[in-house]
Amino acid sequence: MAHRNLLYLLSLKELRTRYKKSVLGWAWSLFNPLSQMLIFTVIFTYVFVSKPAPGDPSGLTNFPLYFLAGLLPWNFFAITTSVAMANVQSGAGLIKKVSFPHEHLVFSVLIAQFVTLLIETVILVIALLIVSQNIIVAHWQDAASPSAPNVLVWLPIVLPIYGLWALFTAGVALALSAFNVFFHDVSYLWTILSQMLFYVTPVIYFTSGLPDVLVGRILRSVADWGPTGAYIRAFHNLFYDGRMPPALLLLYLAGLAIATFALGMWIFGRLSPRFAEEM
Amino acid sequence: MADTILSVEHLVKSFRIHHQKSTSLKQLIAGKSRNKFDDFIAVNDVTFDVREGEVFGIIGQNGSGKSTLLKCMAGILQPNSGHVRVTRRMGALLELGAGFHPELSGRENVFLNAAILGMGRKEIAARFDEIVDFSGLHAFIDQPTKTYSSGMYVRLAFAVAINVDPQLLIVDEILAVGDVSFQRRCLEKFVEFRNEGRTIVLVTHDMGSVKSLCDRAIWLEHGKTIDEGDPSDLVEAYTERMLGAEAPAADGSVRRGSGEIKIVQVEMFVNGGTTPVKRCRTSDDVTLRLHYEAEKTIPQPVVGIEIEVLGGASVTAPNTRDVGVVPATMSGTGTIEISLANISLVPGTYDIHTSITDFNRAIVYDNLHEALRFDVMTGKPYETGGVVTMRPEWKLS
Repeated sequence: MAHRNLLYLLSLKELRTRYKKSVLGWAWSLFNPLSQMLIFTVIFTYVFVSKPAPGDPSGLTNFPLYFLAGLLPWNFFAITTSVAMANVQSGAGLIKKVSFPHEHLVFSVLIAQFVTLLIETVILVIALLIVSQNIIVAHWQDAASPSAPNVLVWLPIVLPIYGLWALFTAGVALALSAFNVFFHDVSYLWTILSQMLFYVTPVIYFTSGLPDVLVGRILRSVADWGPTGAYIRAFHNLFYDGRMPPALLLLYLAGLAIATFALGMWIFGRLSPRFAEEM
Repeated sequence: MADTILSVEHLVKSFRIHHQKSTSLKQLIAGKSRNKFDDFIAVNDVTFDVREGEVFGIIGQNGSGKSTLLKCMAGILQPNSGHVRVTRRMGALLELGAGFHPELSGRENVFLNAAILGMGRKEIAARFDEIVDFSGLHAFIDQPTKTYSSGMYVRLAFAVAINVDPQLLIVDEILAVGDVSFQRRCLEKFVEFRNEGRTIVLVTHDMGSVKSLCDRAIWLEHGKTIDEGDPSDLVEAYTERMLGAEAPAADGSVRRGSGEIKIVQVEMFVNGGTTPVKRCRTSDDVTLRLHYEAEKTIPQPVVGIEIEVLGGASVTAPNTRDVGVVPATMSGTGTIEISLANISLVPGTYDIHTSITDFNRAIVYDNLHEALRFDVMTGKPYETGGVVTMRPEWKLS
């Protein structure tokens, strides 16, 4: 009871202190993905000229929406894992002086970042509404198409999959934070690893566009079925393609979330009793 | 007898001291030859019980293992072996303002800090006013704590801490914060706590509060229990050991020390008399005769006495080193005489403690507590208050 209150207040602290002393405050959390989106859109429209693959069945062909649909969840993952490590490390004073569930230092970051993700998603959905309006209207007017609008139908499914994604992220963050207490290299290593992971995750490219050579095929299977790639694929299905992700994929994501979370909790639980003397 | 609510059984906690600390993966992977390390035993087989309603003190030098013991009790550190059993809700105050964030307001920090100390939301809300009242910071409670002075900060932190509602409170050195009036309020709160029958475990260097607040105490040195029992006795012995203020001597007495040389008897003579007595009057000429026995030759022994009001303050504690009369050696048997002419003690009962240490006061050869108890009877001048008379002369005009 008391510990749930602690988690609530720690999360609130994360949210409240994040943009203190900045004039634009929370707007900053939107600028980050928006600027990333802008950069990628410019690059792929003018530098490495390519065409966005159309969403199936939505028919969307829109780089910014595609990028945002992947970037928002990706940023949630990348930021949560790195901030969680830092938060546990900077919680040394607390860990050494107070007995409390250390995992709350990770969960509070997770919750705060999740709230951010939800807010950002609202923006994404608004953008989606505007862009897809024409398509919807077209469908409505086309009497020959009985299975009319599809873009927004699956959006509610995003929430449970966000939940699984958060569980997966929590597992990774817990394991990393625990190891990082013993070896600070973990946080440096993770900066590099997560960068690599970003590129084998189909956030800024379409796996369908990968060349059919050996490297391309390997990259495609990693991008499709690697843990992060699989999740991003599901988000693309929901936000961009406008359809339910395949049942097999959903099953895979659920399994991944549960297994990763369980492993993360186990590792953290094993190591956290030694935090106080290690810090 | 009251229930045991905290029991520590054969608690051992050691730390691994790495000669070369490896916190990088490279060292871990490349360093095939394992790092050399020593185990430092911070708490070594400590056992004690704390009973319900008791104020239990833990004393000892810096590095004696007090804080480690406390952290094991609080569940912050995991003991290597042994157990800590707690049967009531425990609150451990090892740091004030744990988790305070400077950008958050006083109000927000109160909630956060109280939650860290284990309070539920409703509980905090119910006590919030009391906490603010106690801190006296009504006007500032919605300001960020970074605008607080350090005194205000500590007051708010302490106000939260003292309002956590544990049945068993573990406190580390935090009674002495804030200005005098705030300290008094803290002490009142503390006494209130005790009077409510709550149990308190207290670690402090303030021997005065150990004596006045604690019911029982334990003395740790190098992680081991040196002694456990009545706080006054413990503080006595501890202070003597730490400060080298010596006190040995005679009957109904408690003897400590390595024993190479001992004070076997203390006699008191008054006004040149030859019969040992146990009473004198204010302004008598008193002579104390200390009989010693040495097993071997002791180089540069420092002999000291301490006169103490019965169960109370120390009046005087002279020793041979302070006045530069330390003999080169002492051996066999003999006596030491200390004459106290025109004694200033006012009527009452006093104890004499004696001690013999080496010159650096590192080794205590002998420490005789309550070597002699004597009474001072009414003499001249006659005073009823205080401990000593300054032989005042009054002029009324």
